[in-house]
Amino acid sequence: MPTRRPEDRVELLQGTLDVLILRTLLLGPAHGHAIVKAIESNSEDVLQVEQGSLYPALHRLIKRGWISADEGISENNRRAKYYRLTTRGRKQLQVETTKWEKLSRAIARILKPADEEASS
Amino acid sequence: MRHRRLLDGLDEDIRDHIESETRDNIARGMPPEEARHAALRRFGNITRVKEDTREVWSRVWLEQLLQDIRYGLRVLRNPGFAGVVILTLALGIGMNTAVFSVVNAVLLRPLACPHPERLVWIGGYDANIQRDVADSPDFAYWRQHARSFTGIAAYGPQQAAMVTPTDAQQVSGVVVAGDFWTLTGARPALGRLFGPQEQDTVVLAWDLFENQFAADPRVVGRSVSVDGRSVTITGVLPMDFRFQFPMWWQSVEPRPVEAYFPLPAKDVSMGRIVNVVASLKPGVRDARALAELDVLEKRAQEGRRPQFIEPTAGLRVEPLAHKLTGVARPALIVLLAAGAFVLLIAVLNIANVLLARATVRHREIAIRAAVGAGRARVIRQLLVESVVLALIGGGAALALARSALAILIRLSPNAAPRLREAGLDGYVLAFTLAVSIGAGILFGSGPALALWRTNLHDALKDGARTSAGPAGLRLRALLVTGELALAIVLAIGAGLMLKSFWRMHAYPSGFAPESILTMQVRPAGPQYREEPAQQAYIRELLRRVESAPGVEAAGVSTWSLFEGVPFPSDTAPNQQHTIRLNAASTGYLKALGIRLLRGRWLSDTDSSGHAVLLNESMARQAFGAVDPIGRQIATPEPATVAGIVADLKYSQLDADPPAEIYVPYQQGPFFSGVSVAVRTAGDASAIAPAIRKQISGIDPTQPLSKVKTLEQALADSIAPRRFNLFLLETFAAVALLLSLVGIYGVIAYGVAERTREIGVRMAMGAQRHEVVLMVVRDGMAMALAGMAAGLAGAWSLTHLMASLLYDVKANDPATFAAASVGLAVTALLACWIPALKAARVDAVVALRCE
Repeated sequence: MPTRRPEDRVELLQGTLDVLILRTLLLGPAHGHAIVKAIESNSEDVLQVEQGSLYPALHRLIKRGWISADEGISENNRRAKYYRLTTRGRKQLQVETTKWEKLSRAIARILKPADEEASS
Repeated sequence: MRHRRLLDGLDEDIRDHIESETRDNIARGMPPEEARHAALRRFGNITRVKEDTREVWSRVWLEQLLQDIRYGLRVLRNPGFAGVVILTLALGIGMNTAVFSVVNAVLLRPLACPHPERLVWIGGYDANIQRDVADSPDFAYWRQHARSFTGIAAYGPQQAAMVTPTDAQQVSGVVVAGDFWTLTGARPALGRLFGPQEQDTVVLAWDLFENQFAADPRVVGRSVSVDGRSVTITGVLPMDFRFQFPMWWQSVEPRPVEAYFPLPAKDVSMGRIVNVVASLKPGVRDARALAELDVLEKRAQEGRRPQFIEPTAGLRVEPLAHKLTGVARPALIVLLAAGAFVLLIAVLNIANVLLARATVRHREIAIRAAVGAGRARVIRQLLVESVVLALIGGGAALALARSALAILIRLSPNAAPRLREAGLDGYVLAFTLAVSIGAGILFGSGPALALWRTNLHDALKDGARTSAGPAGLRLRALLVTGELALAIVLAIGAGLMLKSFWRMHAYPSGFAPESILTMQVRPAGPQYREEPAQQAYIRELLRRVESAPGVEAAGVSTWSLFEGVPFPSDTAPNQQHTIRLNAASTGYLKALGIRLLRGRWLSDTDSSGHAVLLNESMARQAFGAVDPIGRQIATPEPATVAGIVADLKYSQLDADPPAEIYVPYQQGPFFSGVSVAVRTAGDASAIAPAIRKQISGIDPTQPLSKVKTLEQALADSIAPRRFNLFLLETFAAVALLLSLVGIYGVIAYGVAERTREIGVRMAMGAQRHEVVLMVVRDGMAMALAGMAAGLAGAWSLTHLMASLLYDVKANDPATFAAASVGLAVTALLACWIPALKAARVDAVVALRCE
């Protein structure tokens, strides 16, 4: 399991957590801890989520109708919630993804020359 | 309640989450204890997470608000601070509430009658009697022919001697004609309202019914004697019915309308000055109605309808509401503005106190913000705290306004039309609520802003030292500067009003209105229908009053207007003027203290002859530069000028004395009432009972009215002005007090802050007077900057109150100077006290205290 030094980790940009949750749930329903784990491991541990902040985000998404919560049994054999993507959430993910790609391309284009200079 | 269930499960979810993470950590090889700690660390602040999650469902703000309010109420545990803030607010908001309830009653609340928005006032301005009037024949013709109105009514004041079961009473009533009852929407409480054709009837107002007829319903249908005629009481109006149309006679006869009589038919045909109110048909504009009336008037001018007197000239049609509030409007707007100024000063003052306190609470707030409350949350809580204080202040303000209104209405009930109706209704409550919340947010935003800019790290590091720092003090100085600017505007406004008053009361030397008693009598009833009987009554009255003990001079007078009189100084032929003929006994002029300038007084031998006196204004108008003594003047009969007397303002303080011709009293028409004036050596009110007794001894059925000293009568003649003056002076006084407290507070606080610095200076050899000078200079810089700004503001604002002033320019330099000097001196005093305290600083103690 790849572990990184703390200084290599990047704090999550405000608002991006919502998209990441939606993207994670695209693979299937999951409960809270699993979602965080998935985000962290899929980013190869670069992204550091303050795990607690997941919960306000989940409730925000439920309120907007993009995900829903079902009762289930967790791996600890407890009553726990499984979150699943709704149809509206799926559409929203597409919108957000396009938006994000545009944004990151634009930022990369601006930052790239400076980046190269720094490395040379 | 989907989210309820979600939130209920939140604790479990979180616990489950942390356990999963702990398990993962253990799987990675951590010891169990460390694994759990790491999991908790990665999760973050659990309480905060829960709070944030709950906040997503946003009803939380209500819970937080309640919490903030509970917290805000804790401010009350510091009674000194809370007391000062609440008292200041109660004053500031209370004044605004009181003024607003007057504005609400006078300007905003519609008349209590059907379709008040359609009511219009119809009249033409008559320069002689200086108000809008209409003539009754015109009214009757309009009512018959005009098609713009659903109804049209005429009314006028009517004094009547009514013999009631208890006594003879001078009743102040109105005569009404046309559709008066329909327009006012009146419904009788008892009996019925007389119809448009009925004569010799009366409808009683509830108060008269209760006071004079013991509220006995059997009086309906009975007859009473009114001015010697027998009239039938057809009905009684309900308790809440008020006469709401413009009452120009209010300043002369400040009594509510007690009885309603039909306008006598002969008055309609013969011509009588009336006031006309009409209700426009839906969709008809003022202008169209006026055009129609003009056409009708033209017919009269062309002689196509018989007319006893000249038709009403220069006709205008204006909304009744506008006419009603016309005079009071500018005064009320000035008062509203003054109230806003006072409130603003109060708010600035409180912001100032809060800022001073914020520096003390600095650390408390910084800690709260740092441990996770969030800056926005703390700011919101500070604002809620302020609004809670403001609302408590608003509550106190309502109580204050209530008693202030009661006092105002008792002092001068006729200062503005419908003033009596002023009270704390729903609109006033809403206004007070809005103003309180607004004020709270305004003064709370000062400390909130200060927090926004605070660096939390510095605040926490700051240790024991709590200091506003130079920036905080600068903000406070700015607030005080603003206060003084507002205060001087108010002081100048109040000063201008005061000077107007002083100018109005600039009596000639020797004029002592407090020792003159005035009253009205009116020989009424069948026994006085013939003129000799009236003459005999007046002669007997004069004899008795003159010989009463303590009387120095006494007399009677009655005046009337004559139109179409030529003056000797006329250059163009056929010029016509209106003259005011005053049938006054010599004793009357002497009692008032009117001085004879030239010629001689009239004597009893002149009674049937044609000798007259002129006052200065009349002499100037009629004769120009020519000496009038011995010359002829038309009155309209030719008469000889026997003497000239000085002008004197003896009836209306805020107007120039009228030009008058004095004729022997025996020539006067007495049927419309006679004024009696009695001068005594001391206080005139002391002899009033004796004089009353003398007069009622002649004929007990004849009522005496308006018995008061001339001083009182003159004061009543400017009741609206006194009302405005009283309010504006109070506003200015409160404003000055608040702003002086403000400047004192800032200087005193500054001195306390700088104790150490002052100690150092003194240790280095600074003299005490230098310290005093330094502190005073700082304070006066603030004060003078504020005053300069205020003077500029006042210069451009005072012209708005020009209509409230008398004989004083809105930019009167003397008033501006006096207000500036006064304020500067008091500000100096407010700086001096803390400065002296600064000078007493003991260098050793000051240096040790840090």
